[in-house]
Amino acid sequence: MTTPLLSVRNLRVSFRIDRSNTFDALKGVSFDVMPNQTVALVGESGSGKSVTSLAVLGLLPKENAKVSSDSQIEFDGKNLLALSRQEIRELRGDKISMIFQEPMSSLNPVFTVGYQIKEVLKEHKNLTGAAADKRAVELLKEVGIPSAEERVDYYPHQMSGGQQQRVMIAMAIACEPKLLIADEPTTALDVTIQKQILDLIAEIQKKRGMSVLFITHDLAVVGDIADRVVVMRNGEIKEQGTTKEVFSAPKDDYTKALLSCRPAVDSRPKRLPVIEDFMAGRAEAMRSEQRARGVRDADPVVLEVKGLCKDFYSREGLFGKKTFHAAKDVSFKLRKGKTLGLVGESGSGKTTVGLTVMRLHDATKGEAWFDGKNIFAMTEKEFLPYKKRIQIVFQNPYASLNPRFTVGQILMEPMVIHGIGKGGDDRSKMAFELLSKVGLPEMSFYKYPHEFSGGQRQRIAIARCLTMKPDILICDESVSALDVSVQAQVLNLLQDLQDEFGLSYIFISHDLAVVKYMSDEVMVMSNGEVVEHENSDTLYQAPKHEYTKRLLDSIPKGLAAT
Amino acid sequence: MTTAVNTASIGIERSPGLWSLAWKRLLRDKIAIVSMVIVIAFLLLALASAVGLVAGGWNNEIAKNYAPPTWFKGSTTEEDLSKSNKSAAAGPSLDTGLSRPEFVNDRDPLRDTITELKQQLGQSTSGGADEIKIVDPLADVIAELKKKLGRTGDGDANEVEAEKLSSLAFGADKWGRSVFDKVVQGSETSITVGFAAALVATLIGAFLGALAGYYGGKTDDFLNWFYSIFNSIPYILLVLAIAAVLNKKGILTVVLILGLTGWASIFRVVRAEYMKHKARDYVRAANAIGASHARRMFVHIFPNISHVILVQLSLYVVIFIKSEVILSYLGFGVGVDTVSWGSMLNEAQNELILGYWWQLGAATLFMAILVTAFSLFTDSLRDALDPKLK
Amino acid sequence: MAAYIVRRLWQIVPTMLGVILLIFFLFNVVGGDPAYLLAGKISNPETIANIRKQLGIDEPYYVQLWIFIKQVVTFDFGQSWSTNEYVSSIFATRLPASLMIGIPLLIVEAIIAILIALGVAYVRGSLTDRAVMVSCTVAQSVSILVYIIVFQYVLAYKFGWFPVQGWGNGFFENLFKYASLPILIALVVSLAPNIRLYRTFLLDEINQDYVRTARAKGLTENRVMLVHVLRNAAIPIITNLMIQLPGLLVGLFLIERFFSIPGIGREVILSVERSDFPVIKAITVYVALATMLANLAADLLYKAVDPRVELK
Repeated sequence: MTTPLLSVRNLRVSFRIDRSNTFDALKGVSFDVMPNQTVALVGESGSGKSVTSLAVLGLLPKENAKVSSDSQIEFDGKNLLALSRQEIRELRGDKISMIFQEPMSSLNPVFTVGYQIKEVLKEHKNLTGAAADKRAVELLKEVGIPSAEERVDYYPHQMSGGQQQRVMIAMAIACEPKLLIADEPTTALDVTIQKQILDLIAEIQKKRGMSVLFITHDLAVVGDIADRVVVMRNGEIKEQGTTKEVFSAPKDDYTKALLSCRPAVDSRPKRLPVIEDFMAGRAEAMRSEQRARGVRDADPVVLEVKGLCKDFYSREGLFGKKTFHAAKDVSFKLRKGKTLGLVGESGSGKTTVGLTVMRLHDATKGEAWFDGKNIFAMTEKEFLPYKKRIQIVFQNPYASLNPRFTVGQILMEPMVIHGIGKGGDDRSKMAFELLSKVGLPEMSFYKYPHEFSGGQRQRIAIARCLTMKPDILICDESVSALDVSVQAQVLNLLQDLQDEFGLSYIFISHDLAVVKYMSDEVMVMSNGEVVEHENSDTLYQAPKHEYTKRLLDSIPKGLAAT
Repeated sequence: MTTAVNTASIGIERSPGLWSLAWKRLLRDKIAIVSMVIVIAFLLLALASAVGLVAGGWNNEIAKNYAPPTWFKGSTTEEDLSKSNKSAAAGPSLDTGLSRPEFVNDRDPLRDTITELKQQLGQSTSGGADEIKIVDPLADVIAELKKKLGRTGDGDANEVEAEKLSSLAFGADKWGRSVFDKVVQGSETSITVGFAAALVATLIGAFLGALAGYYGGKTDDFLNWFYSIFNSIPYILLVLAIAAVLNKKGILTVVLILGLTGWASIFRVVRAEYMKHKARDYVRAANAIGASHARRMFVHIFPNISHVILVQLSLYVVIFIKSEVILSYLGFGVGVDTVSWGSMLNEAQNELILGYWWQLGAATLFMAILVTAFSLFTDSLRDALDPKLK
Repeated sequence: MAAYIVRRLWQIVPTMLGVILLIFFLFNVVGGDPAYLLAGKISNPETIANIRKQLGIDEPYYVQLWIFIKQVVTFDFGQSWSTNEYVSSIFATRLPASLMIGIPLLIVEAIIAILIALGVAYVRGSLTDRAVMVSCTVAQSVSILVYIIVFQYVLAYKFGWFPVQGWGNGFFENLFKYASLPILIALVVSLAPNIRLYRTFLLDEINQDYVRTARAKGLTENRVMLVHVLRNAAIPIITNLMIQLPGLLVGLFLIERFFSIPGIGREVILSVERSDFPVIKAITVYVALATMLANLAADLLYKAVDPRVELK
């Protein structure tokens, strides 16, 4: 057995919150990274995975972070925690380098990408002048930047997100490091770009024979590329082993839940099993109970949209006006009690469609027939009684609830506006009922949004919509910001509500697996246009359009071997 | 929007809202508490002065002219004092100061001041008053001083002098009035002007800013045009221009001048906040549930940006207190029947040359303490209301 | 780029018109009848009528406004009411003195403030940082009047290190002899707020992701601060400096007044004291124009220092 390249032993890190309180971010974490090996560190938010990576590089904020004295991080025979600041600095970017989640903000906006690559070469390899220029271009070529000779003089903002991340990678491998730490490198990217970046990292790892510590919240992502998986939760390691072991025979309940609470493309259980189900031992039974999806022409239509167009304008030149077509000629029928999935990458126009349908944007052209009337042609006042019947749950649970309102006020406001219920007592009684319906304790009524977690806030947002007993609920990336285990709980809730109230959903997401799980029919959008519209099973089994095929190919499949 | 169920009746403790959390953070900050105590002390002092509990008799000449502070055992003795009042030996270093010919120039208001004072004290000089008036901006002020001096001179100075105090807590001014009383009166003026003008400016700026930021479009274009007019004229120039036009003195005038010209900065801040917040999901959600524009503007957005307005308001108080001092110093501020730290500084400027520094010291000290405390309080307030900024 | 400049210049027109309207409203409508002011004590109806005719204020408002606009466009505001000096010559003779104080002040002040701000931003949260910040707050709380009075009294009058006041004719004589104390005082007054401002600009940048990247690249802390952070913070700092410039012309009025420096600021005070409306009107209008041009210049400079900005 070879000696590990990186060996983390009993790593404990605590943060000082204020004078009297500390928060233990890591409670004794130990794992190894062998030479020429990819290790994935997987965990949800707050698991301490990013803290681990920053601790390895000595980048923890020195004001309030404290590494326990009995912790050990050994790299290439050296104890990193015992090195002077000067020594660890010389190691960074040379022997150990790192790439981050947001490539746009991680690159300095005022320097060209070439300058930023050459900076590393100068610092560690003392390479300057023409030799450095040449090397920078070579590196950009290696990470697959087309016409690298020209792009080397670009500023970061002139490149796309995927290219920016390629530049980060070029910078990271410039000095041929032994270890590359990748902290959620693909989370901020579209699914097709994610696939390319993952392939690039895997390719470079093989070619250079370096080790990679890959940090992610998404187990499915690492199946293809990792040799070993370390599962973390709340600052502790829950399980570690080879990728094959962890994926095919997980031992820990949490790992099991993580693996199964993300909907798979090829199966659709009635409910997604979450960690509580594993602990109660009923998960296996749940998995076998499948749900059928799809629409027939006979299903009644609640909303019919015809030829919806939405343009945005921006000023340009002396008197010029630039038009951006966010949605072009979108038509669809939404059927009662069914879910219409809307997928596409960023900028595809899917959110624009959602917001325009409920008149949060004014449509440039088109009709929307609801209850026998064209709601786009109504005045604001005429629309008010219809407004409550089409509701929306937004993406960011931290932004969609007014922080100055109690949950009770949030739930009762729509009832007051629409005259639902008779007086305050009646309304608060209804609010209490709704809280228990979405799985929150009655106590929540008196609390403020900041006292809740992301998943709980999303439940509050759903309860707010339910106060108005809508016919249609638009879910605009409603679960995208949530951790996978919480995501499954919210998806289950939405499913239960649809079963109980016969709600019709327009389910907007960039996540194809989630859309597949939730939808009866799916519309794929690209650049403002609908490229394919099909029953979801048909679409996923036999995609017709090129773009749909590409999207489906990019979905991380979990363990490649299975 | 009140919850109908009485929280106490079912035994649940109400959760702290964002305001009470901010208040708790504020109370944990020692600097905040100290500065808050000082500011409150000043407010009480101003209130007491306004109802006449303290410093009501600031205009009474209770002490000898230029009586020193009680605790000041410096060079100025009582003997010196009476000498300076009666005989020629005015300031301690007057003559040496003026004997540097290279630095003396035709338009030297300091020299003019000194000349005037010397004249007043019985020494003759060659300078003619008319000639001075053309070049010296202070000539009018000095003429006014002369008149006032004349007032005390008319009475039988020697007789009255004997009954007057030879020292006071903070010393006395030219006419033997208590510097302490004056500085307390000055606090009242400053605080009144500072707070009132801040309120005027905030009301105007915040309201217009909310309209412009929320509605956007044509409303925003128009209000932004209006703002850019005020923004393109340097603040102090606009203030002076209005002062020139109004040609009227008094606290109300100063409040209006400062308030009507100063709204531009809060307009910009509030407009930006409204633009930011109207695109936030919670406002969109309010729109989705059918809340009206007014409801979204005032019930939803306003509480979420009110901390920004509060911080701006207290920034304004500091700015306006400082501006009032300058206006009053220049003689465009409060009238002669009101004391301001600015007018005190104006008098003190001349006294300093004669070696009587206590009026300058007192006005400076009081102003510095109030403004420092208020600024530190504003900083703490900002940190407490928006912990992310730290 | 050219289209942008043309469009921005075109946008100045309505704002300028607004400034003119505001000034006109203030001086010709609110301001009342200046004839009484001018006629002084020996006022009889005839002289007043005569003065009114001379000033053109017996005309209806729209004619007066037209005259005012013509004055602005032709740069001809006639003569000062009190000294009969041509307003244009007042500008020409007072501007150099104001610039001689203002420009060295701006340069020296920027350098010192940035250096101190860098220092405290680097040790942010430490005792030094807090001490400097509190000192800045205290220093800002003392009125500029006190600084002027005390510095003039102590440094010039008592110690004789500087002339008490005055202005000469030679460039270097003015700069090194007469301008040095005024600049020193202005420096002391303006340092405190600017250190605080630049510190926040720097702190905004220090928390950015790219700083973490720069550290992860193994760059020295000096390079992180002086190259990566400073280069980004320079963007708001430079803008701030540009926008300060026109305000400086009148902002130094107290200092100019105390030291008898024949600059624009002192002229403002004098004309306000004398109710010399043509001079105040002219200064206000042109300083406003200068402010708008400076804002435009600041935006163009912004483009030069920030590659992300596209001028459309």
